[in-house]
Amino acid sequence: MSAVNIWEKMLNVDRRWIFLGIGIVSIVPFLIGFGMPITTTIEVEGIFDYVDELGPDDAIFIGFDFAPGTQAENMPMAVAVMRHAFHNRIPVFMTAYVPLGKGMAVAALDYVTNPKTDGYYERVLFEDWADYREAGITNKEELTAAWESDGNVLSEGAAGWVFEGRDYVLLGYLPLFHLVILGMTGSIETQFPVDYHNNPIGGMPILMEHKSLREVDLALTTSGSAACTAWITYAREKIGLPIAFGVTGVMATDYFPYIQSGQIVGQMGGLRGAAEYEVLLKENGITRTTGKAFRGMDVQSAAHIFIILLIIMGNIAFFAGGFHKKTRLKGRR
Amino acid sequence: MKRTVPLMIVMVGGILMMVQYFIPHQYSQVILDNYVEWAPIVGAFALILGVGSLTRLHTHKIRRKAKNWQYSWAVLIPLFGMPFFALIVPQSLGGGSEVHGVHDFLFMHIQVPIQSTMFSLLAFYIASAAFRAFRAKSALATILLLAAVIVMLGQVPIGDVLGKWLPNTGLWILRYPNLAAKRAIMLGVGFGMLATNLKIIFGVERNWLGGAGK
Repeated sequence: MSAVNIWEKMLNVDRRWIFLGIGIVSIVPFLIGFGMPITTTIEVEGIFDYVDELGPDDAIFIGFDFAPGTQAENMPMAVAVMRHAFHNRIPVFMTAYVPLGKGMAVAALDYVTNPKTDGYYERVLFEDWADYREAGITNKEELTAAWESDGNVLSEGAAGWVFEGRDYVLLGYLPLFHLVILGMTGSIETQFPVDYHNNPIGGMPILMEHKSLREVDLALTTSGSAACTAWITYAREKIGLPIAFGVTGVMATDYFPYIQSGQIVGQMGGLRGAAEYEVLLKENGITRTTGKAFRGMDVQSAAHIFIILLIIMGNIAFFAGGFHKKTRLKGRR
Repeated sequence: MKRTVPLMIVMVGGILMMVQYFIPHQYSQVILDNYVEWAPIVGAFALILGVGSLTRLHTHKIRRKAKNWQYSWAVLIPLFGMPFFALIVPQSLGGGSEVHGVHDFLFMHIQVPIQSTMFSLLAFYIASAAFRAFRAKSALATILLLAAVIVMLGQVPIGDVLGKWLPNTGLWILRYPNLAAKRAIMLGVGFGMLATNLKIIFGVERNWLGGAGK
């Protein structure tokens, strides 16, 4: 077999071998877990520092503006910021720019409040603490004290209580969400009279203290769509609401101009961004362990190396075989 | 009449909303509130139109036994099945959109895995495409290839292990050359959108009428 034939054979390799290779480098590191260290960037630190300075008197929006297709990247971002907010007792509004985002918000909340999750938060549903609301106990510390004095004990391993309507509210999805953002700059309740569970939000302490986006301190949009620009156009530019982005890796490059212009406080780009936030949570003692994004970075490392090797091999074969001189390769390329 | 009325609505509505944005007055806010209430209602008619059109298309395919007509069932059954379980079936029978209902089960165990799988397939095709198509055929292609490799390595932890210069260079590429290019594109698109919108508002651009009234 001549040398040219070897190169040609290499370039015409059955694509199923490449698929097998990418399958192996995706699965094996996930099972082994190398735990390679991740350094944080100023883009992610900007969000972390901003959230870290907020407290119980403030509030944030987390936009689940993605569909299941990008959940591997977007979900860990939302989960990390939600855990940060719950730890600092910052009330959280949850919305969805796309219909399927509502299900993603439910899944994120279930994960953070699931006893199987390390450092989970014990959830108290809106109807379960109705008596306390009627008694006028809505302050978080007083509510927690009253709740525990009535015999409710925080489970071992739980990081704290989260009361629906006090610490968080799941508002859900509405069509034409850019108009909903615009409407919420005047009043959140006019856009969402009830929450996802049909509870009237007018009676929720979280809404009584934060009636419109003007009384909210940050909106994080975790997005695989055009939601980012909608939040900038209708909330940031109209009322000056601070915005942070959590976007997929391929979208991240699009939004660097917003960071430099100071229109957003920071950006988590792809799985890397989520992993950096998880590292910051752990380094600052907010969580005991890192999460799924950190683990996923081992897979990304292996996959990137594999793809780079493929590019190098492809180029070697292309030039060594002299195919750059020909207009077309033989075979089924 | 078929052309004049829609053109007038667009012109009045467009100018009104444009001016409203810059007037911080109570009446201006009332106009905005009304618009925000009305727009989703008008938008809902588009949903009816869309669902109606999709249903008609696929029922027609099934009736005619057109090519791949079986797949039309895969469109129609979920299209009506999901709202059926979420809105019509009582909660005691697993209805509603709450967790542990049939709707939630279908969403979490069918829709989520399907969409995640579809997106994950990209990794396989990107790897194959990178091997077959990413060639350093010219100086510009070589620069693109090198930048891609540096950014790819800089974005993953192994880049830190290989050398600090990799993530630093990768971030420099993203923060400066990439930013400059993106800003130029965004400005171009922005001006283009502004010009197109003004042309639509003032009736210069009429393609959106779809030939009505001709």
